[in-house]
Amino acid sequence: MLKKQILEEFQKTVGPENIDDGEVMTNAYAYNWCMELVNCMEEKEPIPFSPIPKAIILPSNVEEVQQIVKLCNKYDIQFKAQSTGLGPWNQPSSENCIILDLRRMNKIVKIDDKNLYAVVEPYVSGAQLQAETMKYDLTVHMPGAGPQVSPLASATSMNGPGFTSPHTGHSARNVLGVEWVLPDGEILRLGSTGLKNNPDWFSGDGPGPSLRGIMRGWAGAKSGIGVFTKVAFKLFPYPCSTKFKLKGISPNYEFDIPDFMKLYVMDCKNYNYLKKVFLAVEREEISFICSHLSGYGLGAIFSNSIESLMDKIPIASTHAPLVIVIAARTRREFEYKQKVMNKIMAEFKLENIIGTKYTPNSLFYAEALRSNLGLHGFIATGGFQSSKGQCDTATVCLNTTKMSIPLKKKYIKKGVIANDFGEGVWMTSYESGHYFHVESPTLFDQTNEKSVNGMAENMNENYQFDLIKHLGAPFFVEGDRMHDKFGPHMMNYHKWLRKIKEAFDPNGIADSGFYISAK
Amino acid sequence: MDEEEYQKMIKRCLRCSICKWIPQVQIKSQKYATACPAIDLYNFHPYSGGGKIILALALEMGRIKPSEELRDIVYKCTECGNCAIACKFLNTLEPLEIIMRLREKLVEAGCGPMPKQKAYTEAVKNVNNPYSEPHENRMDWLPNDIKIDPNAKLLYYIGCTSSYRRKEMAIAAARIMNAAGVAFRILQDEEYCCGSPILRTGEIHTFQEFLNKNVDIIESKGIETVVFSCAGCYDTFKVDYPLYRDYNFKVCHTVEFFNELLEAGELKLTKEIPITATYHDPCHLGRNAERYEQWDGEEVKLIPLISINIPPKPKRTGKAGIYDPPRNILKKIPGLKFIEMERIREYAYCCGAGAGVKSAFPEMALNTAKIRIEEAEDTGADVIVSACPFCSTNLQDGISESGSKLKYYDISELLLMSLGLEPEKLKQALAEVA
Repeated sequence: MLKKQILEEFQKTVGPENIDDGEVMTNAYAYNWCMELVNCMEEKEPIPFSPIPKAIILPSNVEEVQQIVKLCNKYDIQFKAQSTGLGPWNQPSSENCIILDLRRMNKIVKIDDKNLYAVVEPYVSGAQLQAETMKYDLTVHMPGAGPQVSPLASATSMNGPGFTSPHTGHSARNVLGVEWVLPDGEILRLGSTGLKNNPDWFSGDGPGPSLRGIMRGWAGAKSGIGVFTKVAFKLFPYPCSTKFKLKGISPNYEFDIPDFMKLYVMDCKNYNYLKKVFLAVEREEISFICSHLSGYGLGAIFSNSIESLMDKIPIASTHAPLVIVIAARTRREFEYKQKVMNKIMAEFKLENIIGTKYTPNSLFYAEALRSNLGLHGFIATGGFQSSKGQCDTATVCLNTTKMSIPLKKKYIKKGVIANDFGEGVWMTSYESGHYFHVESPTLFDQTNEKSVNGMAENMNENYQFDLIKHLGAPFFVEGDRMHDKFGPHMMNYHKWLRKIKEAFDPNGIADSGFYISAK
Repeated sequence: MDEEEYQKMIKRCLRCSICKWIPQVQIKSQKYATACPAIDLYNFHPYSGGGKIILALALEMGRIKPSEELRDIVYKCTECGNCAIACKFLNTLEPLEIIMRLREKLVEAGCGPMPKQKAYTEAVKNVNNPYSEPHENRMDWLPNDIKIDPNAKLLYYIGCTSSYRRKEMAIAAARIMNAAGVAFRILQDEEYCCGSPILRTGEIHTFQEFLNKNVDIIESKGIETVVFSCAGCYDTFKVDYPLYRDYNFKVCHTVEFFNELLEAGELKLTKEIPITATYHDPCHLGRNAERYEQWDGEEVKLIPLISINIPPKPKRTGKAGIYDPPRNILKKIPGLKFIEMERIREYAYCCGAGAGVKSAFPEMALNTAKIRIEEAEDTGADVIVSACPFCSTNLQDGISESGSKLKYYDISELLLMSLGLEPEKLKQALAEVA
């Protein structure tokens, strides 16, 4: 709870109905997905609750955020900002912390269909924005976490791979102008939105040096370097007709598949072959989706329950499958893309198992267009987390995958993670195959202490493995412990990160549990 | 949901916030993307379906205690079930059932329901209706010229709200049955509250008393079919009663019954009703009107950590809701142009009145109704139609409060007009609106 005087000051800022420091509210905000795993990895009790925040506050605009941050500095209280709030990164790391739930900041500020960007506030969801951009025949990049999460959070503060990445890129690469409340309460406007005359949102760099790297770096600061209140990011042509018609009742909808849309699943049999095919497809710049999934992952994206996954055994038993969706706006474009795919399949002697060995429900195509495929990862055990998270060449990403299989199998054998034959990865391509991302979704049971402990051990051993084998930094190098572990092996980047933290947050007010402290 | 299942489920919320939205693939605009009135109005996460699952877990773990703070959040929920539809697109959690069970636990702990809800529970116990109206006035809605057949095998169960507050619905339903030549009876002074308002606020024991009383009476009279014009009574009889006790009669809602009569040519719609109308799916008649299916399968451990249900356990996803009959009726009314809102059928937005919200939190009910009215206005319709007395009351309050030009009609009223009932008789029906 907050002291009465402090509470009253916050109340004056946002109105009494928009702040709550009661036992019930603060406990509810202490919960999050995978928090038991984080606790376990930090040798705390493996419960899904973080430290309890002192209060929850709901600002409605940048001025209120600024005032809240200034009050935090005045009273030496840390803050943690969250938008749609999925994942432990939204949680405070100490009890001297308030949560800024940015839910009331939910405006689409602008859709510039001529210059292909949108400006949004934190609580606009990917699906909401996409529904509006579809009216202009445009679409938006959404992270693998799903269309229900905030694209602003992904663009500014998280990593940001997505299923439609071949077409819509990566959150880090899409971000343009930004409005940012720094940890000391100053407002910083990045890129062209910071121009003195005629500011606008179209560019993330300049005038002067770009701060995009400092703002988010590889995987974002998770509110450890301030609060992002507006962001502009790129929009992309919707890949086919925006007519979107569903029949039936959830979840068994039937979708009118657009005329010019086709799915390919090819079994590449081994990783070397997969790499060649992957690169060949991406070099042609024809795919809307181009992902490698494990057999389990492949079955899961076509299933809406564990029981329906059982019907997918024939396709789930493929080795090194590649999933490609092509889509087009005209017949001519569609025919061209199909010809290219036919040529690649002929060259590599592959066949499309879609339509021969398996035909998915039409709903798959709707979920592909609306970026809803990532959520299928939860259907087996209800819990998963990724023990990798690289962005690198196809070679490095696939080497990581191969080399990590024995380690994963060790924990499968222990019965603490579910059996995906050690092959459970999701790998997708960016910018015509210039780089790839790979992560290793690992299924565990968050309600089973043995499984949670085992998963935590698996994560820690994976991190060590990545270091020893020079496999790069995974997604979740977060917090002092992890940065201190990885930094010395990576040109002491952690020392520079600390300097950034110190410069931007001299009072240490932005909670750094998932970033880095100035120490 | 038994206690074991409850304890398992409350540990499994992913905090993904899917429950706050209609199914993602159905989102057509930013404005009408949301599913849950409580989180829309009160913003803090615990007001959402997932938030209430977290509260249930925190309570079981002793991190929070039963308190007024907890009670107010748990009862600011219309139990519309939209969160459950969204969650079950891919997951297997049952947010609605967890919320209902959490309310039961608060009642057991002496912390629930809300004071105003306690008052109506007492009223149900004392005078058999939640409005504290004298039981002997229950049949006051009944005009003298309605033909009743005391020996009919078909029973029209009016319900408390239509009997005392939305009499026009009862009158219209009865007149339509007369017009079709359907022989029906009513229970007269042996009709009691179905128990819905007390069930949904967690007073499970009182609910069971009324359930038994109602089933005993109906079965003792050799009734074969019970027809309801109240979506709440219908849902309670159809879905909730069988969880406690089997019965030997069929149940149907008037929209199903009247649609069948139209299909069979027993009702002839002759009069043009030149309006543009949109239809609001009541939660009780739509997604929540799906019965629980008996599942006698077993959970089989497939490999470590992965179990499957053999055969698959049926999920209630709103698939058996009553969606098409009311739409068929409206489309058959001459001159009526039918137009849909964005949130319909299994993901329709709630009117805001259910599960005790109208009495305990009238402002929440009203503000929710205003959201729904705006959605109806945005279609360009000039009339909003529904088939539930709670929706009727609340949506009309919303129209009045927001100064909307929309008109509200119960579907039976439109049907009655299209049957060409003389204006005097229609006026008589409308004059009795409470």
